[in-house]
Amino acid sequence: MNGKLYWKQKIPLLILNGTGMAALTVFLLLNGVNSDSLILILVVWEVILAGYLAGTYLLRKSQLDKLLGMAEQLEERYLLPEIMERPIWADDQVFYRLLKLSGKSMLEQTDKAKREAAEYREYIEQWIHEMKTPITAMKLICENRKSDFSKDLLVELEQANRYTEQALFYARSEHPEKDYFVREIRLFDVVHQAIGENRYLLRQSNVLIDLAETDDTVYSDEKWLCFILNQVIVNAVKYRAQAPVIQFYTEHAGNEVSLCIADNGIGIRAGDLPRIFEKGFTGENGRNTSQAATGMGLYLCKRLCDKLDIGITAASNGKTVFRLSFHINDFIHQVQS
Amino acid sequence: MAAYKIMIIEDDPLIRTELKHMLWGNGYDAVTVSDFSKTVKEVKKQAPHLILLDIRLPVADGFSLCSEIRTFSDIPIVFVTSSHTDMDELNSIMLGGDAYITKPYHTAILLAKIASLLKKAYPAGNQEVMPYQNTFLHLESGRLECNGRQVDLTKNELKILYYLYKNAGRICPRSDLIDFLWDNQLYVDDNTLSVNVNRIRDKLASIGLHDFIKTKHRQGYFI
Repeated sequence: MNGKLYWKQKIPLLILNGTGMAALTVFLLLNGVNSDSLILILVVWEVILAGYLAGTYLLRKSQLDKLLGMAEQLEERYLLPEIMERPIWADDQVFYRLLKLSGKSMLEQTDKAKREAAEYREYIEQWIHEMKTPITAMKLICENRKSDFSKDLLVELEQANRYTEQALFYARSEHPEKDYFVREIRLFDVVHQAIGENRYLLRQSNVLIDLAETDDTVYSDEKWLCFILNQVIVNAVKYRAQAPVIQFYTEHAGNEVSLCIADNGIGIRAGDLPRIFEKGFTGENGRNTSQAATGMGLYLCKRLCDKLDIGITAASNGKTVFRLSFHINDFIHQVQS
Repeated sequence: MAAYKIMIIEDDPLIRTELKHMLWGNGYDAVTVSDFSKTVKEVKKQAPHLILLDIRLPVADGFSLCSEIRTFSDIPIVFVTSSHTDMDELNSIMLGGDAYITKPYHTAILLAKIASLLKKAYPAGNQEVMPYQNTFLHLESGRLECNGRQVDLTKNELKILYYLYKNAGRICPRSDLIDFLWDNQLYVDDNTLSVNVNRIRDKLASIGLHDFIKTKHRQGYFI
């Protein structure tokens, strides 16, 4: 509480008392009261007034400080009117009512916004599943009638599918815990799956795939991991140079196993490297290639990796290497064996 | 050997038809269901070797159909669906589904799943040796035999020869051959294919088979 302002507001009261004292002095002097009694009366008056002022100031200050302290500690401050005590003074009660009213209407608004966001997300998920039916139908039609024409279409269909998947995973990345299915998966099974989902793109771009296949397994969610690999593969194709090669291999270090995806593309500038996982960041490469970068792919990868407790790092030094590190959970192995 | 009969239970008519054509093209006999109120009756009547089952269906959904079918049959059931949630996947496994594939699937992956499930469910039917003229391709051991002489083949070489044997007498375009290898998770490009084919030719020459794989200029290979 601002003390100076508080006392400023008390000036009318002081003036009123001052005037009262002056009037009383004049009245008593005219009635022949002696000066000793007069001084006594005035001193008593002043003491009572000072006591009253100091008392109300301290009381008020402690009340308001308590409220401020409460607000400070509260994580969701908009709930303050719900937990504060009903004030005793009439004008305070009015403010209390106003607070409650505005808080309530705000809660209604946020509830409404939350509900709308949830409904929208549900609708998007629904829509994505519905989109998959025509994509599947088109894919089947193309694969049943293979020609150069249908192969071009298949590349585009892969792309359409990738975009819908991205939307789905974006919608789900809010609450991934609802959609976990963690089990032991063979890393290279997921690699094969991801390559399969991009095969027409890879074939069209004449990308050579170099696998150093191992039987390493990790505990993770297969479809999320596949989505992450998809993004990395698509980036490698997008930013390819002459005679593109994508290598997949695993590395062990301590109690970690890493899946590395290396490509010999145009690389990432050192200055851009720390920011590639930021939302909407496109960097030098993203702005210079013919295909527009959205800055969403790697951002989503990072977000999913964080939720899945997978380490994701990128390095660009001649080769561009994306490294996904998994903890080897010895505990699970011990329990199982 | 009679072709395996596969039943497609899918409500989208276009996908149903295309899937049927795709399965026919790959040597399977495919039947479809169009009246979903009689699905189970139809399964009993047709007695297919394998079922492709969509989850979202009119009348009764895939899960309840699956558990109903399981009361009288153990045939392999593949769930094919567009909704990829873990609850669905878990449900499909709990109710006795054998595989779970999400749309849009790769026909190659779907076919591979079907083939492996059929092989598991009906072990007698698989073919391990492919004969052509006086040669035999042993798929399990990865060898080619000619007049008693044998030669070992690598994975790539075996798959290339398998494809040529399967299409014996026909020209196999290079791109189809590469497609087939990609289906089998062998990611070769044009150059690698040439290298592999030349290596096979050398190997075949070492057991006295000359000019076995012929090149049709600008078209592909054939035997």
